Amino acid sequence: MTHVHEQDEVTVREIPAARWAAIGWLVLVLVVAATAVWEWRMRSLGLRAGDLDDSKWHWAVERRRLEAGDHDGVVIVGSSRILFDTDLDIWSEMTGRRPLQLALVGTNPRPVLIRLAEESGFKGLVVVGVTPDLYFMDRFSYIPQYERVLEFWREESPSERVGHRIGLFLSRHLAFLDEAYRFAALVERIDIPDRAHVRRPYLEVWKLAETSAHRQHRMWPRLERDERLRDHARLVWGPFDGGGPAPESVARAIVESRQAVETIRARGGEVVFVRAPSAGLYYEAEQMGIPRARTWDRLLAETGAFGIHFEDYSEMQNLELPEWSHLSRESATHFTRAYVEVLVRKFPGLRSRPPAEPEK
Amino acid sequence: MVFNSLTFLVFFTVLLVLHHLPFSWTTKKVNLLIASYVFYAAWNPPFVLLLWISTLIDWFAARAIYASRDKGRAHQRAWLLISLAANLGFLGFFKYGEFLLQNWQALMASFGIAWVAPEWDIVLPVGISFYTFQTMAYSLDVYLGRAKPLSSFLDFSLFVTFFPQLVAGPIVRPGQLVPQFAVPCRATRDQMLWGFGLIVLGLFEKVVIADAGLANVSDHVFGAQVPVGFVDAWLGTLAFSGQIFCDFAGYSTIAIGSALCLGFALPDNFRMPYAAIGFSDFWRRWHISLSTWLRDYLYIPLGGNRSSATRTYVNLMLTMLLGGLWHGANWTFVVWGGLHGLYLAGERWIRSRTGVAGDPQGAWNRLALALVTYFLVNITWVFFRAETFEGAARILAGMFGFAEEATAVLPTIYMIKAGVIVATVVVVQWLMRNRELEEVVARTPWWVTGLICAMMLFAVIIAQGSGEAFIYFQF
Repeated sequence: MTHVHEQDEVTVREIPAARWAAIGWLVLVLVVAATAVWEWRMRSLGLRAGDLDDSKWHWAVERRRLEAGDHDGVVIVGSSRILFDTDLDIWSEMTGRRPLQLALVGTNPRPVLIRLAEESGFKGLVVVGVTPDLYFMDRFSYIPQYERVLEFWREESPSERVGHRIGLFLSRHLAFLDEAYRFAALVERIDIPDRAHVRRPYLEVWKLAETSAHRQHRMWPRLERDERLRDHARLVWGPFDGGGPAPESVARAIVESRQAVETIRARGGEVVFVRAPSAGLYYEAEQMGIPRARTWDRLLAETGAFGIHFEDYSEMQNLELPEWSHLSRESATHFTRAYVEVLVRKFPGLRSRPPAEPEK
Repeated sequence: MVFNSLTFLVFFTVLLVLHHLPFSWTTKKVNLLIASYVFYAAWNPPFVLLLWISTLIDWFAARAIYASRDKGRAHQRAWLLISLAANLGFLGFFKYGEFLLQNWQALMASFGIAWVAPEWDIVLPVGISFYTFQTMAYSLDVYLGRAKPLSSFLDFSLFVTFFPQLVAGPIVRPGQLVPQFAVPCRATRDQMLWGFGLIVLGLFEKVVIADAGLANVSDHVFGAQVPVGFVDAWLGTLAFSGQIFCDFAGYSTIAIGSALCLGFALPDNFRMPYAAIGFSDFWRRWHISLSTWLRDYLYIPLGGNRSSATRTYVNLMLTMLLGGLWHGANWTFVVWGGLHGLYLAGERWIRSRTGVAGDPQGAWNRLALALVTYFLVNITWVFFRAETFEGAARILAGMFGFAEEATAVLPTIYMIKAGVIVATVVVVQWLMRNRELEEVVARTPWWVTGLICAMMLFAVIIAQGSGEAFIYFQF
């Protein structure tokens, strides 16, 4: 059996003699059956169809909506706390405005805020979620795929845009497509002893949230009730050694924030900072390494912006944070209602629209 | 558009349906041509212009070369130079522009002249190195009298643009593909099913082995900014050897399978390269379409082995150095090519001294030489993967036990993954060394073939990722 590979001769490929029709049927039956079993297994683990996942492609869609003026004049930037802890339906219900959700997990929102100030011409309300250990650091992201997200929304190819839409369609019908439950990710969760000083993939963040349309994140229900998952998440957030950013990093963050606030205000916009709750050892470590007086209070004083710190409002106390960093679904709704109420009192113009229909 | 994307799945399904509707052959070719432009434009629409310009220049240049055969070689040479200047000009501008400016800046600095290169914010058109070589081969073949210009502009355009191999090969010669456009062809049922089988195999190599299995292991080691020890350095390099093979061979296999589903045959691009015994054998097995291109259009025109031994070694080194530079605008790629040139020259010298031709006698001798070849190939991969010489030196120091204060960077699970996968890849290649895949499939019970194919497809489905681009796209 030979191929013709001489470069000047017509290529001919031989087809191996086999029962191809039978092979085709066998493959079809086995793959459909195995995929069905896998889907059933993933659903039994708590995944569900309609959880759309999150990625730089999802973010790019929302960012382009901002560029196209397809928004209600409110944008949220931040890290995972403001992303998980904000209920966009409550926003809609209370103000008639549904914010564009541009917060990103594991990232520092400051570069997003600066780009918003310098490049977008946006003159509505920017809600900046402040997770202290991220906001005052010098780097942008801990998530490799988000490193170039601030450029990606412009550069995304037509092929990627179409692929994203097809992916969304499939995610509405199949649970196993969840990025956090890809086979390779599951392999890396095997808890085996590791070499000294090597960070185990076991300690990577596992699934924390479910996502619906327009990047509405809510805590994954299983995380709220599964002690093992909750303990794992707490373990990942550590070590709670009380370390914090260097004073010069904090100073730089405040200067950059002030410039961004001034730029947005100069064109008629407004910026508010929101410090969502944390709890347990995480909260204690923040108190030690990133104390409020040295960071949050200075940020508000030097930018002149309005801020909402959960410690200052009784209605934001006693909320449930299963893994110390993000609110449970119910508490997220409660917290959103509380902080939007404060915002509406401060900026009465926010409630200038009739309540919108909640997003499906 | 990348093969491992949902967009391609839809694109290919629509195209297959169109190709099997009862249209005329010309209409089907027009469909294929439009689809190929869509395939390319789906990445960055304006760069389709480059394809059109390249197509037009070589179409007219080849005709002019042929038409001026009675006017003397100078006329023909002038037209050939126009083709080469245009193709290499595009390649030089987009791929090597920044590299040239940076080197010029360094050269000026060495003379004490402070000149700063302007910021270079030019996007590299995907696959430009591949289709540039393919169209140049056409004009060169006509110039060298190996072929006549084509009579159909549609066939020529399709030859330049045919989507399965447009952006990452195999680099096809006109004689291999164009005659297939001349007569109507439609894949038989068996051709199509075998084509699907090859697509599944290629996706398995790319999505499961290269991306899910090995990428993060090599990224971990080559991305470490600290000295790494012997085990980490070797595992990272071996992981990259597996990753680069499965990434690139996976692409070629999907390309061959896609073309076959449409009724066209593309040549093999890989034949178990990690089972090579010696470096001339390696280059008969690795990226075959590039190595034969370099042989036919660079090494032989330079004189090949027709002159003195010294000149042959010089030709060999020049070919491999330029082959290295073809892969990327970085001196590390030149060193990669240079090392392969040295290996080939060394092997040639040893063979000329010992008079040994072909494979050595004895299974153990062959195995030992194959392992030496694989070992030396892995040394070259360090320069291919590392972005800087400092990075390469860091890894090599670890591989040869010279790293001081080495740090462990690989988690145990990564070490297990890399060890198992790379060992499997190498053993399978050794067992398949002298066999064709088709031959093995023909001898395997049908249900075993079906079972393996189903397992690979299922693995692709559950390992699905975010459609990482193929490494060779950047070349």
